[in-house]
Amino acid sequence: MTVRDSLDLALRNLGQAKLRTALTTLGVAIGIASLAGMVSLGVGLQDQFVSRLTRSGLFDSITVLSSSDIPGGFARLGGAGRQGFGRGRGRGGPALPRVELSDATIQDLESLPHVRDVFPNVRVPLQMRFNGEQESFAAAGVPRSAKGEGAFRSIAYGTFFPNDADMTCMLSLDLAKRMNDADPASLVGQTVTLLHASPAAVSAAIAAGTPPAPVETPCPIVGIVERETGPGGIGAQVTPVMLPLGRARTMALRANNYLSLTVKVAGAQYTEDVEDAIKKKGLSAFSINDALQGAKRAFILLDIVLSLIGSIALAVSSLGIVNTMVMSILERTREIGIMKAIGGSDRDIRRIFLIEASAIGFFGGVAGVALGWLVGRVINFGANVYIQQQGGTTGNLFSLPLWLIGGAVGFSIAVSLVAGSYPAARAAKLNPIDALRHD
Amino acid sequence: MAVLLETRDLRRHYQMGASLVRALDGVSIDVAPGEFVGLLGTSGSGKSTLLNLIAGLDRPTSGSLRIFDRDLAQMSSDELSEHRRRNVGIIFQSFNLVSTMTAAENVALAMMFAGVPRGERETRASRLLAAMGLAGRQQHRPTELSGGEQQRVAVARALANDPHLLLADEPTGNLDSRTTREIMTLLKTLNERDGKTIIMVTHDPSLAGEYAHRTITMLDGAVVGA
Repeated sequence: MTVRDSLDLALRNLGQAKLRTALTTLGVAIGIASLAGMVSLGVGLQDQFVSRLTRSGLFDSITVLSSSDIPGGFARLGGAGRQGFGRGRGRGGPALPRVELSDATIQDLESLPHVRDVFPNVRVPLQMRFNGEQESFAAAGVPRSAKGEGAFRSIAYGTFFPNDADMTCMLSLDLAKRMNDADPASLVGQTVTLLHASPAAVSAAIAAGTPPAPVETPCPIVGIVERETGPGGIGAQVTPVMLPLGRARTMALRANNYLSLTVKVAGAQYTEDVEDAIKKKGLSAFSINDALQGAKRAFILLDIVLSLIGSIALAVSSLGIVNTMVMSILERTREIGIMKAIGGSDRDIRRIFLIEASAIGFFGGVAGVALGWLVGRVINFGANVYIQQQGGTTGNLFSLPLWLIGGAVGFSIAVSLVAGSYPAARAAKLNPIDALRHD
Repeated sequence: MAVLLETRDLRRHYQMGASLVRALDGVSIDVAPGEFVGLLGTSGSGKSTLLNLIAGLDRPTSGSLRIFDRDLAQMSSDELSEHRRRNVGIIFQSFNLVSTMTAAENVALAMMFAGVPRGERETRASRLLAAMGLAGRQQHRPTELSGGEQQRVAVARALANDPHLLLADEPTGNLDSRTTREIMTLLKTLNERDGKTIIMVTHDPSLAGEYAHRTITMLDGAVVGA
C-alpha cells in the first residue's frame, strides 16, 4: 500500500466524522495557540529588549584595554601614571608584556573582519567659562562615525560637529539646562571659552614645578544632545562637554598612548567574534554582550516557564486525540477486520491511523498558530493602547518568527503522532476474526 | 493428484473461561487445484474455524496447513497478510462491505493493499463489477444495493487480486432462494470457466450436493465424512 493511498484513506476517514474531527482539531488548535502564543510572547519581549539595547549604540561596541592594565585592576586606569612609582608593578604575579594602545594598534584592529571603526577614548581635562561662570570638565572626543548613531541619533538642538578639526563643541542637555534653564536651544550658535593647557605646556610645567598656564580658546556651541537613558557607561561618548575627536586628540595629554579604545563592529552578531580576535592579540576587551549573557539566560528561563504554561492546554488536547481515535477505532472495528481480511497488513492499518493523527496535528497546528497570532495581535493592540496612555513606547509584545511557526506545527504533528500511536497500535493488533464479528 | 491445500492433524484449541474448546481437533484434508469443495457441518462443528485457518485469519494450535507448499502455521503476521492478499479471496455470509464506500471503491480497496496503481485499480474494479452484472451499480453504496447485489460486489472484491483459491463462508446464508441460486451459479461459473478452486462452508447439504464436486462433513472439530 502506498503512502499516497494511506493518506487518501486517512483523510477520507476523518471526513466521515466531520464534527468529531473538527472538534478534536479545534482542541489541538487551542493547545497549539496557547503554546505558540506563550513562546511568541517570550520571543517578543526578548526582541523588544534586544532592539532597545541595539538602538542604544552600545551593542556593537567593544572596549579595548591594554592587557597589563587588567591585573592591577581597573582602579589604575584612572590613576595618574602607568609608569607609577613602583607600587603598581609586580603586585599581582608575573607582569604581562606591555601592549601600548597606539595608532598602530588602531590600524591593526581596523584590519580585523567585521570591524567598522576603531577610535581612542579621549578625555580632555578643561575648564569652560560662560557668562562669567567657570567649571571643570573632562570633555570626550566624539568620532565622526558616531554621527547619527546611539546618543547622536537625534540631536535635541543644533547639529553634529561640522568637521573633525575645528574647535567646536556640543553640550549635554543637562548642562545646557544648567546654563540656560528657560531656553537651552538658544545656546546653539553662542560661544563659550575653553581653558586648556597644551601637552607641551603641561610637560614644561611639571619640569619647572609650577602649575601649567592654560590657554583660552573661544569655542562655538553647535549642538545639544539629550543623554540616552538606559544602559550606559561603556564607550558612551556623552559627557557634559564634547569635542570633535580629531581636535580632542591634539589636546590630549597622552597622545598615541591611549587608555582605552572603542571598536565598533558591523553588526551586533559579530561582537563576540571580534572580541575574541582582539583578546588573541593580547589585549583585553569587553562589551555589553558579556553583561547580556545573564539577561539571555533569564529570557531562556522565561521562555521555558511560558512554554510549560502553554503546554498544559496541549497536553489536554493530546488526550482528546487519544480519545477521538479510540472511539473511532471502536466504531470502525468491523471495517478494520474487513481491511485485514482482504489483505491489509498490521503496518498498513497502523499507518492509516498514524496519518489520521498527524493530519489532526497538522491542521490543528496550522489553525493553532493562526489563532495564537490573532489572540496575540488583539492583546498587543490592547496593551499598546494602554502603554500609549501611560506615555510609554509601543512595540510588538508578540513576535512570531518563521521558526516558531514551523516549530509549532511540527510539534503539533509530533504530539499527535505520540497520542495516536497507542490507538494505532491497538487497531493494528486487532484480531481480524473478532473484528469481523463486531457490530 | 496435485495438491493445492493439505492439512495434517490440524488443531485449533482455545480457552473460553475455564474450559478448553477444541474447535478443531486433528483435521487432515487435501484439496486439489480446480476443486469445488463443500464444507458441511452444524454450527460449532469447526467448519468456519477451518476456513479461517485456511484464509490465514487465524493460526493453528498445532499441525500443519500447507497451501502452495508453504506452511501457514510457520508464517509471520506479515506473511499471512500477504497470503490473504495474493492467494485467497474471501466471501462472507454478511458480505462485509465497507458501508461508507461505493461498490467500485470496495473492490478497489483490496487492490490498494496489493499496491496496484490507482488507474489500474479503477479499470479493473469496473470490469469485475460489470462481469458480475453490476455495471450500473458501481457508484452505489452497500445500503443502496440488495443482498444479492452486495454479495456480487463481495465476489468481485474476492477476485480483485486474481487469487487461485476462493473461500466462501455461508455465502448464501443471508439470501433468499432465488438470489442463492444466482450466487451459486456465479461461483460454479468461476470454478468451471476460470478454474478457481472453491471451498464453501455451508450447513445446507443439498446446496453442497448440487454445486460442489465433493463435500467434507465435520462434527465436533473432526472430519466425519469425506
